[in-house]
Amino acid sequence: MDRTTLELRDATVTVPTGAAGTRTILGPVSLRASERRITVVGANGSGKSTLLRLLNGLVTPTSGTVTVGGQDTVREGAAVRRVVAFAFTDPLSQLVMPTGREDVELSLRRSHRSRPERAAAAQAVLERFGLAHLADQSVYDLSGGERQLMALAVVLATEPRVLVLDEPSTLLDLRNTTLLRRTLASLEQTVVLATHDLDLARDADRTLVVDAGRIVFDGAPAEAVAHYRALVEHS
Amino acid sequence: MNGPGLFTTHVPGTSWLHRAPLWLKLTGVVLVGTTTFWFTSWWQAALLLVALLAVGLGAGLPTRRVVASLRALGPVLVLLGAFHWWTQGLPEATRIVVGIANAYLAAGLLTATTPVTDMLDGLVRGAKPLRRWLDPEVVALTLGIMLRSVPWVAGAFGQVRVSARARGLERSPRALVLPVVIHTVAYARRTGEALAARGLTDPPTDD
Repeated sequence: MDRTTLELRDATVTVPTGAAGTRTILGPVSLRASERRITVVGANGSGKSTLLRLLNGLVTPTSGTVTVGGQDTVREGAAVRRVVAFAFTDPLSQLVMPTGREDVELSLRRSHRSRPERAAAAQAVLERFGLAHLADQSVYDLSGGERQLMALAVVLATEPRVLVLDEPSTLLDLRNTTLLRRTLASLEQTVVLATHDLDLARDADRTLVVDAGRIVFDGAPAEAVAHYRALVEHS
Repeated sequence: MNGPGLFTTHVPGTSWLHRAPLWLKLTGVVLVGTTTFWFTSWWQAALLLVALLAVGLGAGLPTRRVVASLRALGPVLVLLGAFHWWTQGLPEATRIVVGIANAYLAAGLLTATTPVTDMLDGLVRGAKPLRRWLDPEVVALTLGIMLRSVPWVAGAFGQVRVSARARGLERSPRALVLPVVIHTVAYARRTGEALAARGLTDPPTDD
């Protein structure tokens, strides 16, 4: 099995609704994917984010299994998180340190114990993403696009094999969305992203349409987008 | 929800305060924090406030950042001051409020003159005796984020106050306090989720 193969077997996520009741917000979902670019489209509340969060163990399945490269996200959650990085919609949720440099160094703390080595590795990461000149600015002083790129640099610093992004372009204008698309296109990692931007959704090898907690279409991006449009128009 | 205060980013510099070892700065912060308990008069607290301001400005910290930090804490100090004035009188209220401002300012001087990575490294070293029970990295990260969250909460209070004023509710403690609590809990959840997603709260491995 490829070290980046994503596999969901009858994965279901339910949440308590009070008075001992539960509500299923995803599933059962089964999927096996090893494409390098996978996009997920669907309406708000359809279950896209839950599906993505299953992939790095942020959400664990109530029933069924989720594996990445054969590693179970529940039993081997820490190992999965070393392989699967996750980027949130709002980069300010991602950036927990005052500056980008400090946040990249935070990502590298476990892999680089020596301070000088860590600083050099962080500098290399920032330069690779063209962010070295912004590294010492407060993350609050960066533009939306710069913050999103900084958040990407922060999660990619540990060189994961899979990058999962939850609606990364929602808070970005056209210029920054274009910059983000270029950056994502240049990555070596397997990329799985949920988006409402149908142009961004087409930048993929495979697209999933999620509706009411189920994958209702799985196939080529153009056909998936057409299916999603039809689904919205007929709802 | 943040501002250019002392807690936001490290201010590079070569002053004696920047060069002082972390343990000394931490001891200073703890000592300043305890003065609220053993200072008996408001003027002692006021003298310490002047001394701390002199130390900060002497270390080359921009005046606007020092002022911004104290301004961010202002609404909390006003509320506390009003309560203590009402219950214990003006001199005691002044002693308590200035004491809190001193502790806040001392912590701000520490964060402004110490890079976060140095602070985390120092805290990890300090937490090593606890490693049988706790991961020193997680202890350091928790304390680092706690410090980082102080200005965020102060900023949230300021923003909620503006919203309450826009709705004509500036006199309602409920309209001021409840949203801050809700924002803060949401912020804590988001931060925790981000740390978990990055594997920073996972147990360390040997590989």
